[in-house]
Amino acid sequence: MFLKFSLRSIFYGAGGGGNDIQWCFSQVKGAVDDDVAEADIISTVEFNHSGELLATGDKGGRVVIFQQEQENKIQSLSRGEYNVYSTFQSHEPEFDYLKSLEIEEKINKIRWLPQKNAAQFLLSTNDKTIKLWKISERDKRPEGYNLKEEDGRYRDPSTVTTLRVPVFRPMDLMVEASPRRIFANAHTYHINSISINSDYETYLSADDLRINLWHLEITDRSFNIVDIKPANMEELTEVITAAEFHPNSCNTFVYSSSKGTIRLCDMRASALCDRHSKLFEEPEDPSNRSFFSEIISSISDVKFSHSGRYMMTRDYLSVKIWDLNMENRPVETYQVHEYLRSKLCSLYENDCIFDKFECCWNGSDSVVMTGSYNNFFRMFDRNTKRDITLEASRENNKPRTVLKPRKVCASGKRKKDEISVDSLDFNKKILHTAWHPKENIIAVATTNNLYIFQDKVN
Amino acid sequence: MLCNGAALKKRVLRKNYNTLKRFMLGRGLKRKLSDYEENMAGLSSAFDSSRNLPYPLKRQLVLNMCLTKLQTYKMLVEPNLHRSVLIANTVRQIQEEMRQESSQQPINVCSGIAPHPHSYPGIDSSGISLHLPSGSSQQESSCCNSWSAEGPIENSLLMVSDDDMSSAISSILKDLDFMEDISPPTSLIPAGDDEPLKSPENTCLKLEDDRQDLKGAECVFGSFEISNSTSYLKDLAIDDIFEDIDTSMYDSDFCSPLLMAPRPPSAATEETLKTFPSCNSPSTNNIPICRTDLSELDHIMEILVGS
Repeated sequence: MFLKFSLRSIFYGAGGGGNDIQWCFSQVKGAVDDDVAEADIISTVEFNHSGELLATGDKGGRVVIFQQEQENKIQSLSRGEYNVYSTFQSHEPEFDYLKSLEIEEKINKIRWLPQKNAAQFLLSTNDKTIKLWKISERDKRPEGYNLKEEDGRYRDPSTVTTLRVPVFRPMDLMVEASPRRIFANAHTYHINSISINSDYETYLSADDLRINLWHLEITDRSFNIVDIKPANMEELTEVITAAEFHPNSCNTFVYSSSKGTIRLCDMRASALCDRHSKLFEEPEDPSNRSFFSEIISSISDVKFSHSGRYMMTRDYLSVKIWDLNMENRPVETYQVHEYLRSKLCSLYENDCIFDKFECCWNGSDSVVMTGSYNNFFRMFDRNTKRDITLEASRENNKPRTVLKPRKVCASGKRKKDEISVDSLDFNKKILHTAWHPKENIIAVATTNNLYIFQDKVN
Repeated sequence: MLCNGAALKKRVLRKNYNTLKRFMLGRGLKRKLSDYEENMAGLSSAFDSSRNLPYPLKRQLVLNMCLTKLQTYKMLVEPNLHRSVLIANTVRQIQEEMRQESSQQPINVCSGIAPHPHSYPGIDSSGISLHLPSGSSQQESSCCNSWSAEGPIENSLLMVSDDDMSSAISSILKDLDFMEDISPPTSLIPAGDDEPLKSPENTCLKLEDDRQDLKGAECVFGSFEISNSTSYLKDLAIDDIFEDIDTSMYDSDFCSPLLMAPRPPSAATEETLKTFPSCNSPSTNNIPICRTDLSELDHIMEILVGS
């Protein structure tokens, strides 16, 4: 094993060259100061299907969409930069008078619809309400009305002496976002996931105990397809943590639970999919058992591969890849930050153990990425079995600077450039990451900044 | 006696602190704990870093933390269901484990007989297979000797009756139910029609329950009742015991008459509770304790919880 690695280093150069991607800083968006405004905390990041648009949602209920410039692609010095395309307030804080509860406006998830015409559509959701937004461009406006002045005031018809035909004149590009559908009042618990079906007509929304199926055109009703609420709430031991439709089979979806299980359901089997078709669960490793075993086994994210053959789950310490044909264990397991296993009590005490990290696939399903603490994020190459830890920090903010790999020293002597576990900043967590569907461009969200990295283009 | 989240937190903190302090002083370790956050963090990092903490002590620390969290969540307007379920499951798991232990081993109070190492976990049960790494059980057997008097005390302290804990967890989950869900699940949920007729009644009943819950020492869990068992939460209602522990640490002559008058093992658990302070002073270990360290720590403690 050691010999193989040495030969590899000789031929390929340690850490780079050959098939390895070298990640470079490209851009960073967001405020520079250390004082983070609560409303600016990024809560979701998502590329659209072409990768041209990148949407972020924040705790203040706003959605910001960035668009990739097209011009630079020809020069191929670097891929196009992402600049702000549209900003709008998606959700407002609400007050539920009956229960005396405030409903947070924080955007939990954004999902893009595939583009069918000139306009773009996305679904955004907070804890209770899902909205379908249409984002359209306007670059022309009509001029020369007969009965209206340019500023919109009405003219007295008696003053009109000649008639003219209004014409469209070019104007500065204006991007408008308008809410087209509002899907409300279907969830008693907090929505954690939305997922658009491959039929592009329906989508699911999941909360802690129920999953509902919607039609994009119909807002006044939804179908409940999963309900795990026990008759007696005292018997509740498990909640739904994430759900997703299969990318190709429009009848198949999965949902993950707080006990570390994933259930695959087929909607053709019955109207209420309470009985799973497949149950994915890995038996517990007895040597790793602790008081916190169940808490760290809770799955925080589940994502199908683009091919639809695999799915990836993220629990507190690891990323697991499952083959849909094998239920009893994952085919691959990657440790994200195993050095935290000996710190679980402290992490439980400060609630970090409940942090919900997301994960994502690259376009070819060969590399997976997820976030960690201290603004570190990790990538695992499924083919080479190599992994890398990088940091999202403004210190490396010269474009095309190659990011230096980081290393955490678990115990014992700390080498130069390594960081010891005790000096990790647990307030700097990367929960949300996204990978461009076609290119090696990644978006990584720290607390209130969005970093965009690209691979080095020679 | 005032019972609210802050007071409960203080009690739990003091209890944790005293438990840990006794252990650490018994090992000749010093800790400087300078403020509240550091104190709590100190306890959990002691859990993480110390390999010598006996399993029951670790378990007790975790249980205390869980109960504190649940109590804090209970006071929130809208508790987080996911977290509450995870913590409740952890509490249930610990409770189950303790019950297994107690059913396997009779409680020996204040006797000089050390409980056998095998009475500590590593117990396999049908529901939970809790297999500890072999290292820890060896350590437990080695520290068992010095814990001879305190082991059974700890066990009796840790014993919580099934009913009490279950009802505690039930009450929390029931409250969550009230807070969250007052619309019945149907296969077709028309939007805008979400409040069933039964909800006003539920509201009234729950509010009354909640008001009653807030009274009394056992306000952590709604339907919790004082029973004859040596329930952990019952300890919290008796301030005097804590006072005794603190005071006893200052005593210059360690041969206090409170010590170790060997008592015959008693099945009556109430007596167990009463003998707790006398048997549990660190002086039973006959380890000299530096008075200045003690007074320093205690001074810090007083600032934290006394003010």
